[in-house]
Amino acid sequence: MQSSTFFTRNKAYIFTLLGLGLVGFVFVGFMMIMDWEYFLKYPLHVILTGDTSGVLSEPTSNYQAMVNAAFGPSYNSIAPEIIRASNERQEFIWWVFVAEIAIFCFMYAKYGRKVAIVTNPSDEVQVFSIFHRAVIWLNIIVISALIITGFNITWGMRSGGGDIAFFLRSSHEMLGLVWLPLWFAMTLVAFKDAKILFNNSLSKKLILKGSYSPMGRIIFIVFVIMGASLLFSGITIWYLHPDAYTHSEFIQLKRYLLYVHFGASVLIMFFLMDFVYSVMVAVKGNLKGLITGKYPREHLEQLAPDVLKDIEEKR
Amino acid sequence: MSKPEYARMKFYCDEDLCIDCNGCVVACKEAHEVPVGINRRKVVTINEGIVGKEISLSMACMHCTDAPCQQVCPVDCFYIRVDGIVLHDKDKCIGCGYCLFACPFGAPQFPQDGAFGIKGKMDKCTMCAGGPEETNSPAEFNKYGQNRIAEGKVPMCASMCSTKALLVGDSTEVAAIKTYRSVAHGKGISTQSYGW
Repeated sequence: MQSSTFFTRNKAYIFTLLGLGLVGFVFVGFMMIMDWEYFLKYPLHVILTGDTSGVLSEPTSNYQAMVNAAFGPSYNSIAPEIIRASNERQEFIWWVFVAEIAIFCFMYAKYGRKVAIVTNPSDEVQVFSIFHRAVIWLNIIVISALIITGFNITWGMRSGGGDIAFFLRSSHEMLGLVWLPLWFAMTLVAFKDAKILFNNSLSKKLILKGSYSPMGRIIFIVFVIMGASLLFSGITIWYLHPDAYTHSEFIQLKRYLLYVHFGASVLIMFFLMDFVYSVMVAVKGNLKGLITGKYPREHLEQLAPDVLKDIEEKR
Repeated sequence: MSKPEYARMKFYCDEDLCIDCNGCVVACKEAHEVPVGINRRKVVTINEGIVGKEISLSMACMHCTDAPCQQVCPVDCFYIRVDGIVLHDKDKCIGCGYCLFACPFGAPQFPQDGAFGIKGKMDKCTMCAGGPEETNSPAEFNKYGQNRIAEGKVPMCASMCSTKALLVGDSTEVAAIKTYRSVAHGKGISTQSYGW
């Protein structure tokens, strides 16, 4: 019998927090050029006063007043980090994905692929409804398009710009708007833990079957939080269209939101790649299941008993 | 052999003289046929209406020597001429807006000309030096406006400034004019020796 200690039950959370903490420590402590005090105070100032200008204290001289009015205050608090992060993303971010893919290759070589032994393929169980599949596939399509159009900006040096790159960049904004309802639908559909709170016919129909593994729960939480951050920051940046006369009133907010957009995009990408590996590569049969909505009963018995249990309880 | 000494072109706005007439803004827009919603140059005023405390400043791209817009542009569409004028290639620009986030002066401008108000390609002050297209060609004018520098003329904004608050030229010359204004009290234009 497998021992069930606190560590074994929660090692996914512990390792994720340790990993993020380590990366955060290295970046915050040694790489980022950010005034963290300003970074923390500024959003509180916006929320409490509604003033987006970024002027946290009254100017003490004409010079300060003019700088605030003409250029926006505290240029050195966020802008240098935007420049550094843009260059870093251009030059080094793909190494993060190379490293992650290398980890997946190692895991594939070590653990292989889980394959269910199916002797009776005609005995199938409906797992995903048409609504579930529509939400999942539309999310896959739109997120893929967002990744392509987003990296078109990040890695603009590779394309060298031009009309196609311009079209892709402008599509990114539109696609973000399209993704908003899809992200919301996915958040509802994939909120498996909601079954603890709601157990009615609607939640049984709406929410995906089964329960989360710790890593699955982490991916879901990252998807929800980072998706919300991406949508809020992206749409706000777009809505606050640069205007010659409102520059100093909004530029600091836009810089702040762009930074949030950068960070959220890296985190969501990292965990989405993890999700794609664990669903599509590490386990055989999920692609067909996501297309048809049906899985062989034996597949579920062997690889996803929680899903089968949920379905049978519903009956 | 000594190195050739190039001019390093800079703007300077003498805030003691700027009277917020916006003549520079209008001159720029008219000369380059800048569309509505885009202002390559703008005048910012503080303490408006308070006698003795009102200060105005005409601003555009400051053509930074170490331009942050150039550092941040993901498609590398900016280039700096030997005389220090910072220009960009609209054929490369993807309108991402990173230059706006990096610019301390709010110089990059974006037309709202796409579907649902998406950003168009960046537009900014060229110091009347056009762009990478053939000099004084219709293509250059359509994308970047007049190329007065190629004709040996002063940029339109400075040439139209009625109080001569807005200066442009080689930075050493501009500094010399400002120094003269500061020290030559009672002769010609006289302003304070310090800024804001």
